[in-house]
Amino acid sequence: MAEQPEQQSSGGPVPGTKPVHVGRRTVLGILGLAAVGIAVGAKVDNALGGVSSAVSNAIGVPLPGDADFRYYTITGSYPVIPAATYELTVEGMVREPLRLSLADLRSMKRTALVHQFQCVTGWVVPDVHWEGVLLSDLLERAGTAPEATALRFFSADGAYTESLTLSQAHRPDILVADKMLGTNVTADHGGPVRLYVAPMYGYKSIKWLNRIEVTNVVVPGYWEDNGYPVNAWIGGSAPVSVVP
Amino acid sequence: MSSDTQLARFDLVERLVHWSTAIMMLTLIVTGAILYLPALALRVGHRGLIENIHVITGLSLLGPLVLGVVGPWRKRLIKDLRRFDRWGASDFDWFKSSARRSGLPRDKFNGGQKIEAAFLGAAMVAALVTGVIMRFAPSSWITWATGATLVHDALFFAIAAAVIAHISFALSRPDQLVSMVNGRISRAWAKAHAGAWLSEVEVSEVEVSEVEVS
Repeated sequence: MAEQPEQQSSGGPVPGTKPVHVGRRTVLGILGLAAVGIAVGAKVDNALGGVSSAVSNAIGVPLPGDADFRYYTITGSYPVIPAATYELTVEGMVREPLRLSLADLRSMKRTALVHQFQCVTGWVVPDVHWEGVLLSDLLERAGTAPEATALRFFSADGAYTESLTLSQAHRPDILVADKMLGTNVTADHGGPVRLYVAPMYGYKSIKWLNRIEVTNVVVPGYWEDNGYPVNAWIGGSAPVSVVP
Repeated sequence: MSSDTQLARFDLVERLVHWSTAIMMLTLIVTGAILYLPALALRVGHRGLIENIHVITGLSLLGPLVLGVVGPWRKRLIKDLRRFDRWGASDFDWFKSSARRSGLPRDKFNGGQKIEAAFLGAAMVAALVTGVIMRFAPSSWITWATGATLVHDALFFAIAAAVIAHISFALSRPDQLVSMVNGRISRAWAKAHAGAWLSEVEVSEVEVSEVEVS
């Protein structure tokens, strides 16, 4: 027993054999793969999104890199609002407060655009079809007061809130949307009416929108209170209009 | 030595590190599934709360392991961590069918346990890095956040599979599961499954008794 090699007391394989550092190699290999994934993952998403989505839909489980929506709700349940009883209020510092039914909203000038939905955490759905009324058209109809500078958005879930400055709200790529993905906005996507703020991260596109208040102060919304930026420009700075 | 005496397999530090990490890992898998799987996300809701639990638990996950290896109590833990790295013929042997195994005496852990430990250790670090990018990276890093999301999502499946395998192996080997609770395992078990470790233990027992004699 006096001949036992030293390695035995330090833990490891049977005496007399030279240890192979499999553990270390496994760790380095996985960390290397992860680093490559972080660096080229966005490109992999673009290349594989379609295939991954097809499989995801078939098995009902989202796969890494697919091009599908994740569903967020911050309350215990989410509102399911019948189209017939839906009402959107525009109030605050306006000339004419509005109470619009879904039919009223749909009778206004329609705008459609095709653009991505980009979540701040990284997932993205490319080429989503959106349709509704331009936020700026709605504000023009209500007539904002000269001293108004900001908007607050409220959700029928009673908890979700959002904000925009009035100048942001006049961009031609912000919709009060009642259609997405080629159909009426479903309840899990925030229907019957949600906001779609194309140049900003997804959390600005408030779901179950039922009230817009025109005001003179930006009040950070739910996710901003949780540490996410108020000016949520995708990529960090305001792009020129994302619609051609 | 009679063959039914008990050997010290895990010390208190190792068991505390194991169980605190296990509780956090299960919390992360459950909250991660709620955040990730649409059916659960819509049923459970409360996304802000679930996200905060997930992020805080994730940031803490490596805490017990780090505490375990920095203090003066680290000796046995470090020694066992080193075993996960060092592989001999008997470790590779574990992956063969039982008919083709050579029967070489094994280390304290077998090849399957070693590869799982190495995988989970690396996966925890990778999940921490990608999670921090997803939650805290500045807006201008969005391309990296998309890559980090891809990796984090893939890790969800890989880690969940590894943990399920770990738990089912543990449940089907109660003597090893109990050793992670009370720290002890029978000499008979060591003789059958960890012969190299048993010789190692016996060498130190000889050393201890020599010290006692002198």
